[in-house]
Amino acid sequence: MSRLTFALALIAALLFAVSALVGTAPLPLGDTLAALAGKGDERVRAILWELRLPRAAAAFAVGAALGLAGAGLQGLLQNPLAEPGVLGVSAFSALGAVIAIFFGFAAVGSFAVPLAAILGAGIATLLLVFAAMRGAGSVTLLLIGIGLSSLAGALMSLALNMAPNPYSLADLVNWMMGSVANRSWADILLGAPGWVIGAGLVLMAGPGLRALSLGDETARTLGADPRRIRLMVITGTSLLAGASVATAGTIGFVGIVAPHIIRPFVRHDPQRLLIPSALLAGIILMAADIAIRVLPFQQELKLGVAAALVGGPVFIWIATRLGRVSP
Amino acid sequence: MISAEHLTVTLNGRAVVRDVSFWLNTGEMAALVGPNGAGKSTVLKALSGVLPSGGEVRIGGAPADKLTVRGRAERLAWLPQTRPVAWNLMAADVAALGRFGGAPGPFDAMGETDRAAVRAALEKADAAQLAERPFQALSGGEQARVHLARLLASPAPVLLLDEPCAALDIAHQLLLMAALQAEAEAGRTLIVVLHDLELAARFCPRILVMQDGALVADGAPEAALSAPTLGDVFGVRRGAGGRLERAVP
Repeated sequence: MSRLTFALALIAALLFAVSALVGTAPLPLGDTLAALAGKGDERVRAILWELRLPRAAAAFAVGAALGLAGAGLQGLLQNPLAEPGVLGVSAFSALGAVIAIFFGFAAVGSFAVPLAAILGAGIATLLLVFAAMRGAGSVTLLLIGIGLSSLAGALMSLALNMAPNPYSLADLVNWMMGSVANRSWADILLGAPGWVIGAGLVLMAGPGLRALSLGDETARTLGADPRRIRLMVITGTSLLAGASVATAGTIGFVGIVAPHIIRPFVRHDPQRLLIPSALLAGIILMAADIAIRVLPFQQELKLGVAAALVGGPVFIWIATRLGRVSP
Repeated sequence: MISAEHLTVTLNGRAVVRDVSFWLNTGEMAALVGPNGAGKSTVLKALSGVLPSGGEVRIGGAPADKLTVRGRAERLAWLPQTRPVAWNLMAADVAALGRFGGAPGPFDAMGETDRAAVRAALEKADAAQLAERPFQALSGGEQARVHLARLLASPAPVLLLDEPCAALDIAHQLLLMAALQAEAEAGRTLIVVLHDLELAARFCPRILVMQDGALVADGAPEAALSAPTLGDVFGVRRGAGGRLERAVP
């Protein structure tokens, strides 16, 4: 484990602990610490173990998954602006989840929603990679992403209009501006298979991403099969993004910001970028979630909104520099 | 060590390489020459498996189309003419990719044997002092040397080089050719696409000449680059003092 990874893991652990201490209900520090050890007042224990800790865990897992998916997609598409949110992968994933919920597939089993979300993410990712293989550059891919996001938004509205069940606009908003409020351990457990398998696939493709830096043809002669790498990253990022969207809705930009900050520290290596980016994105989302719990708003700010407020400007900044500096 | 029999490559319905056959022994170094568009790069791409081809390619006796991606990489390394590098990697990490098949990690994470091989390759390409520099901060010639180090770091017995002299200054061209000669003496088999016929004749004991997708001459420099070949294929002739000049009819 590199020093960078260790430091990031330490910060993540600290922030997780801070998450347990912060919330709308003012709990005395002593009671909270007692509850953390499984002792003390039952209400405090419930708030801690049923509300705050799963929420922090969800924020970290979703952030880390999006960070890893972002770093993996950037390596594959060789584009520092690639990320599930910007490329429309998250929006398509949300579309899959919405269809599953409002057309009753969710009744089949609790796994149906994450599965549909992963399927939606997979369709969008395949389309993007297909475009990239036909020589689409940064701008084209981002335009496709805009198209996919708008299309997914429209299709979601349409799905809600046609849904046999009663619906509300609030549901749509919930999916489009993600949140980890009120998530339970069960929600996290449901996303876990997607996160674990997805992370495994992307990390396994890591060395291949560095080989791909020299182009598909050279990579092949080095012994890295571009088709295999592409398949692993597509499947992996779809699982990561799909499981995240199923847990928290769409949260954009974390997957861009984290790799961008990490890249100079890992010698611009697309493989060594992966794990630190995941940790940093998890940290960012946990920190953002703590912030929105502390901010004195009447109605809590959505996590997706907070992420976009910070990530959007960073995205624009990277985009304006893209032509001048190589990533 | 490497052989092509009736090698044919068709691109967009056009036969770019037509019925090319040759056979190189272990330790042989051949220059592949010919005018622009003769099919030299395409032959190297077909040999390295980057382009699908008709006919049969054998590497170390094994039919190339039966080899896995890994298996081919163990036997053959290719330096393409255009050499993109997507990220601003460290030069050492680019060179280390030459050993990707056996050691897929970055330079720092490699075992001592692999690291020593990469260091030696950087040394041979006169790029050791560039190892810790970001690739995109290097000049064109420096980048070419790092790419060359990547190729030399490979453990493969067959090396294919497409215009390795491009972007190199004259001193580095000579250094490169001498380094390639040393590789051949050490038992590697090399095919080098060159435009400089003088350089080819001086360093390569064998010359393959291509024209319009076909192999039109194959042999020692004096025989392969005979006056009729020079005139027909390249449109040049030997003038006063043995210098090449345009043969304007």
